[in-house]
Amino acid sequence: MDSYLLSLLQLCDSNLPTGAFSHSFGLETYIQNEQVVSKQTFAKWLQVYVREQLVYNDGLALRLAYEALVQDQWETLWNLDRMITVQSMARETREGSARMGQRMMQLGMELYLIPALVGYQDRVQAKQSSGHPAIVFAIIAHHLAVPKSTAILSYLYSCTASLIQNGVRGIPLGQTDGQRLFQELQSYLLQAVEKIEGLDEDDFGITSPGIEISQMKHERLHIRLFMS
Amino acid sequence: MENWTGFLRLAVRHKEERTIPAEVYNRGAFKVTPPIYLDDPSQPCFYLMNPGGGYVGGDRYKAEIHVGERAQMLLTTQSSTKIFKTLTSPVTQDTSIVMEKDSYLEYMPDPIIAYQHAQYLQNTVIRMERGASLIYGDIITPGWSPDGSLFRYNRLQLKTIVYYEGELVVLDHLQLRPEVHEVEGLGILEGHTHFGTMTVIGEKATSDFVEQMSDALSACAGSCKIGLSALILPGFSLRVLASSTQQIEAIFEACQRCVRKQWFGKKPISFRKY
Repeated sequence: MDSYLLSLLQLCDSNLPTGAFSHSFGLETYIQNEQVVSKQTFAKWLQVYVREQLVYNDGLALRLAYEALVQDQWETLWNLDRMITVQSMARETREGSARMGQRMMQLGMELYLIPALVGYQDRVQAKQSSGHPAIVFAIIAHHLAVPKSTAILSYLYSCTASLIQNGVRGIPLGQTDGQRLFQELQSYLLQAVEKIEGLDEDDFGITSPGIEISQMKHERLHIRLFMS
Repeated sequence: MENWTGFLRLAVRHKEERTIPAEVYNRGAFKVTPPIYLDDPSQPCFYLMNPGGGYVGGDRYKAEIHVGERAQMLLTTQSSTKIFKTLTSPVTQDTSIVMEKDSYLEYMPDPIIAYQHAQYLQNTVIRMERGASLIYGDIITPGWSPDGSLFRYNRLQLKTIVYYEGELVVLDHLQLRPEVHEVEGLGILEGHTHFGTMTVIGEKATSDFVEQMSDALSACAGSCKIGLSALILPGFSLRVLASSTQQIEAIFEACQRCVRKQWFGKKPISFRKY
């Protein structure tokens, strides 16, 4: 039995208090514009979000951070933190990710003693880094000896799990529909990991204009369930 | 020096309330006009020219722009950037811009038109010193093909990286690959054909200014979809999805007019191209 399994499940649990439940990353704008109104339209949105946004940003950052940790190159981690922060042109999404990253970092500090995480937190406190959940996740997963591709897949799982819960509340959909969506999404998450493994560093940060504009427009929605 | 199809170096400096050229050098298929002072001696305008009329496979262009301390510059192109069929290696356009302390640059190239089977990689790196102000906009059209169908190019990649006082502050990476992605679909262009992206950076881009700009542009959005959000330093990113170049130009002009007037007390400009 893999000794990391229970710790990994804990890290991916949607009850992990990172604040993911208050961020929709642009989904709420699509819900209010009536572009995401049903299980089918939400499924399509999730597929696009994974394929166009998570793969080139969080997913690739996590992979590169993990590889840097294997080689003990912390400077690469700090560069990735900066790159993923400034890549996000939508302020709420950028600040939301930083908040989630910082909370996950704090939890990681309570649960484990990991030198890279200590170094990362020092940088965040000195305002040299922002903090990002993908990089914190890479540090903890590497520490737990979770294999790289499993780490990427689990991270995509936890991101989409939160988004599905948020969609179920926001659209709204039934809980069973949410679970079906999650099951249907599995093959897309596996494909996404394969894609991420094959990317080049130069592919980092590719943006999806429509999703990004919706994240920007979220700032100006009048009634909001979510902070982004 | 590397083997560029066209190479250009253009530097300006501030001298007695004017901005004057400090260096103009070009080689191969890349030229620039002499400075044109559009009613404003403090801010000359330069037009970049591609004498061949367009880019073909394997072409590599490099521009180095230097705006000296307190100098101001308007930079544009003489006509749209056309990328013809590139079956061999992609066309690359590298632009490196240095902006010294308190300088001001408005860089507004004409739209990018990628023909059927074109591949285009654009890399722009901007290094700004304290007090510098920047307006930079790009417009991407759905391209051109013999039968009039849209999005027949293979790949468009625009990467813009901005450093402010040596710190990375913007990483803007766009890739449109109609063969691989559903570019008109959800999440990408969402039924629109044209995409405009503008970056504005300057100490005067306070949160109030950004808010006011967002209100003003939303009011003139029409059928376009506009997103505007603050960067990690005083400044903002503006994104526009539209159905024509003219719609994006109108929004960019409104934004540019407001920055020119409120930050520099300057009048609106017309590039007098057509």
